[in-house]
Amino acid sequence: MQVAIEGPWSPLFGRLTLDAIPYDNPIIIGTFAFAALAGLAVAVPVLYYNKLGYLWREWLTSVDHKKIGVMYIILGLVMLFRGFADGMLIRTQQAIAVGPTSPGVLGAQHGFLPPFHYDQVYSAHGTIMILFAATPILTGLTNVVVPLQIGARDMAFPYMNALSLWLTTAGAILVMLSLFIGDFSAAGWVGLIPLTELPYSPGVGVDYWMWAIQISSIGTTLNAINMIVTIISMRAPGMGWFRLPVFTWTTLSTNIIGLTAFPVLGAALALLGADRYFGAHFFTAGNGGNLMLYTNLFWIWGHPEVYFLVLPAFGIFSEIIPTFSEKPLFGYTTMVAATFAIAGISWTVWLHHFFTMAAGPDINGFFSLATMLVGIPTGVKVFNWAFTLYRGRLTFSVPMLWSLAGLFLLLLGGITGMMLAIPSVNYTVHDSVFVIAHFHCMVLLIGAAIFAAVAYWWPKVFGFVLDERNGLRFFWSFILATAVVFLAMFALGFEGETRRLDYIYDPAWRPMLLTEETGMGIYCLSIFFFVRMIYVSLRDRIPVPADPWATSRTLEFLTASPVPFYNFAVTPQVNARDELAWRRAHGLERAQPQAFEVIHMPSNTGIPFIIGMLSLGFGFGMIWRIWWLAGFSLLGIILAVIIRSFDKNLGYELQPEEVAAMEHNLATAGMFAEQPARIQLTEAEAH
Amino acid sequence: MATQTPPSEGVVLFHPHFAGHDQISARTLGFWLYMLSDALIFAALFAAYGVLNNPMGAAGGPIATQVADPVEGFWQTCAVLGSVATYSLGTVALKSGNKGGVMFSIVLAILLAFIFLGFEAHDLLDLLAKGDGPTRSGFLSAFFVLVATHGLHMLFGIIWMLVMLVQIPLFGFNANVVARLLNLRMFWQFQATIWVILYVYVYMIGAF
Amino acid sequence: MSAPHSDPLAHPEVQQGNALRYISGFITTLLLMFAALMLTIRQHLPYVSYAEAVTGLAVLSLVTQATLFFGLDISRAHIWKSLSLLLTIPLFIISVGLTVWMFQSLATRTMLMPAGMLQQPTLLQ
Repeated sequence: MQVAIEGPWSPLFGRLTLDAIPYDNPIIIGTFAFAALAGLAVAVPVLYYNKLGYLWREWLTSVDHKKIGVMYIILGLVMLFRGFADGMLIRTQQAIAVGPTSPGVLGAQHGFLPPFHYDQVYSAHGTIMILFAATPILTGLTNVVVPLQIGARDMAFPYMNALSLWLTTAGAILVMLSLFIGDFSAAGWVGLIPLTELPYSPGVGVDYWMWAIQISSIGTTLNAINMIVTIISMRAPGMGWFRLPVFTWTTLSTNIIGLTAFPVLGAALALLGADRYFGAHFFTAGNGGNLMLYTNLFWIWGHPEVYFLVLPAFGIFSEIIPTFSEKPLFGYTTMVAATFAIAGISWTVWLHHFFTMAAGPDINGFFSLATMLVGIPTGVKVFNWAFTLYRGRLTFSVPMLWSLAGLFLLLLGGITGMMLAIPSVNYTVHDSVFVIAHFHCMVLLIGAAIFAAVAYWWPKVFGFVLDERNGLRFFWSFILATAVVFLAMFALGFEGETRRLDYIYDPAWRPMLLTEETGMGIYCLSIFFFVRMIYVSLRDRIPVPADPWATSRTLEFLTASPVPFYNFAVTPQVNARDELAWRRAHGLERAQPQAFEVIHMPSNTGIPFIIGMLSLGFGFGMIWRIWWLAGFSLLGIILAVIIRSFDKNLGYELQPEEVAAMEHNLATAGMFAEQPARIQLTEAEAH
Repeated sequence: MATQTPPSEGVVLFHPHFAGHDQISARTLGFWLYMLSDALIFAALFAAYGVLNNPMGAAGGPIATQVADPVEGFWQTCAVLGSVATYSLGTVALKSGNKGGVMFSIVLAILLAFIFLGFEAHDLLDLLAKGDGPTRSGFLSAFFVLVATHGLHMLFGIIWMLVMLVQIPLFGFNANVVARLLNLRMFWQFQATIWVILYVYVYMIGAF
Repeated sequence: MSAPHSDPLAHPEVQQGNALRYISGFITTLLLMFAALMLTIRQHLPYVSYAEAVTGLAVLSLVTQATLFFGLDISRAHIWKSLSLLLTIPLFIISVGLTVWMFQSLATRTMLMPAGMLQQPTLLQ
């Protein structure tokens, strides 16, 4: 039942031949050189200082939510950098290839990227930024913070947590491999039908895109299950629902969205896969297929997905703004209600992504109203933040600045979003860069929230402070760049510039495009400041107390900085919302438990990493139609799961004396400490 | 249990020997949530079926009444409901720790599941032999994928049951095994639920 | 993490197993499906009434399964399952329902109709 595919196929290598490696593309060769250097810069010190065993024992096999969260964030930041590089390529191409007399190099008639390559760049940019940068970073943040905020020792399912990480990593590796072996999809991050069908995309690009997303989406869905059960089942005593920090509430609603929406994406991509691999006719132009069905199924996922990304950002603002206003969050109950209203309504608005698909005025009207409805709870949130700031004792720390910038981006993005919700406006600006500017305001507010959160929780996780001077420079350059690039883009959207253009015919647009390119230069400067900030912070390592900001309000700041790997030596009893603020008000913030006790911890395991690598093999095999590789990898995954189910390991116990010793010498319990081998508990024989 | 409290308040700040959460409940809740996500996969497949089940989608090939016979579907319904009931009765034997009873029920459930799959495989292979496979038309693609996805779930359930047949004598009814048996019960019952929706939507309303 | 010494078999979800419920669930669901089958074979109802009747029987069967097979209620052991199911059902209905509505409207407006069928609606309609 295999469809007729273009190009040679052999049983051993599938479609893979040496031609798949783009020797003749200087941009790719340059990228490879850069990636190789970066890889060596990491690998050489690891090998030189003989840290391979340490890496395996303490990180790659870890089931600790904090380490997993940090690895997620590292993955996301690396992919963010790659996504930015793609964005830089897009903007530079558009800055050069303006007008019929513009120069063309490297095989392009205008600019330096021929159309097929350019299409891959913007497809990769979208896919990476949404699914491999923002999602892992936000997942990592919730992974690190939520168990601490609810007073738990770890997530409900630590093993599955590690599995989610490695599945996401496998997807990211596939995307990176597509740079050097074969092509990536040239059909946009959405995967526009019929372009993604086999006759129009006969190469492996769409397959890379499809499998990378499928594999990482399984990780995301598993993580959603984990987060929801953790929040429901693992709260510390006294942590009733209305004492939950707002970040935890937004995490709950976000993961409800993730749990319910991602499966639809999986189905949509599976049906596309059926078309591409089995010759089915779900979305083909003939034999009874329906092209618009793909668009519909994709956006049923696609819209909830953007709320999946933005609700954690709102949660981050809801933590940072009260801390740096030294006031409790205004309107806690309405904030929670608004969060769930947004999550619920977000499931009913997806058609606004394709108003122009001619479903008719009734349908367009319904979805338009629903879309506008979502602005109400969002507005409630903005007002709540504003009222929190009002008459607060404000500290304009780096996290606070990022949050305030995020609010302004939300305002701009939200208002332009309301404009887009009106079908008649939408018909005029659909597929123009006005839409791009709108959603970049939204994703950059998510970016602002991410940088705010990293700055806010970094001292807690690592035990030393992030350099403030370079942090401020990073912030200001980033925000300036954002304004320059995207305000110009709104203007060009009104001028009529459409999306995804590799060549722009109207030289009158050149000034705006050059403005945007200047903005990109400012982004590059901001990256320099970011790297410098990390470098200076690592170099100086100025230690911080348990509450690095002195005005924090929530439970995670009760633990020491850095957080010991077992989180709380004794489970805290929660007495109020904003427990730490309550304790501080009663002079109790330094209270220590009277006695330590036995702590039961889960053991590290290499199986999630192995399953992650097997899924990489499976994905690669499916992409290149190396059936034996795909088959054995799949079999390996199933066997690994079954074999793991026979595992008798029950974790290990920390004795009270050990805990006491670690509480006195926190460096031995922190993120980078190497733990001694401990006695593993196994099941006594059952009867 | 109070520690370091100011003299005037009986405030509790720590909770020593906190027993923590109930592992088995956490696992069944987690599995239940996975099943809800699975339900959404089926929702997408039902939506696709709803869109492609029309004369255009059939592209000159067979239409729903020609491939989905409600009487044949009824026998499948009996088989899957029987399998589910059998397995569920096995979990009644679990209450008293009756290994033999549980294992016997699992074996019966597997047999009934194979009968269900046998009917299904027979139908689908017949269609394939006639050239009316998923590559014939959009409607048939939707029909095959919907039915086969449910069948694949049944197959994974059978594999799971076989693994449990090994684990019950090996480990007895420890917490892990019990949690898995409870999850399997929910999974299996869910297959019957999806089948009922499928039967009604594809074999009845969709094939009128 | 867990209380390792409590007996797994004493867990409420194990103890909720009840032969009477399972057997009555089996019989009820089978009877409801049989009734639907009879309606289908007899074919004496027009399509819309038939679809409504069969859907009604299916809904009854699903409620039967929820209560008799899954044993869902609002007790502590089941509250989250019941709540999450109740929140998911609308999503299921929304995704299938709005899709079908959308595509029916789309088909009327964009698909070529055989001569003599309904007039296609215009943009202003």
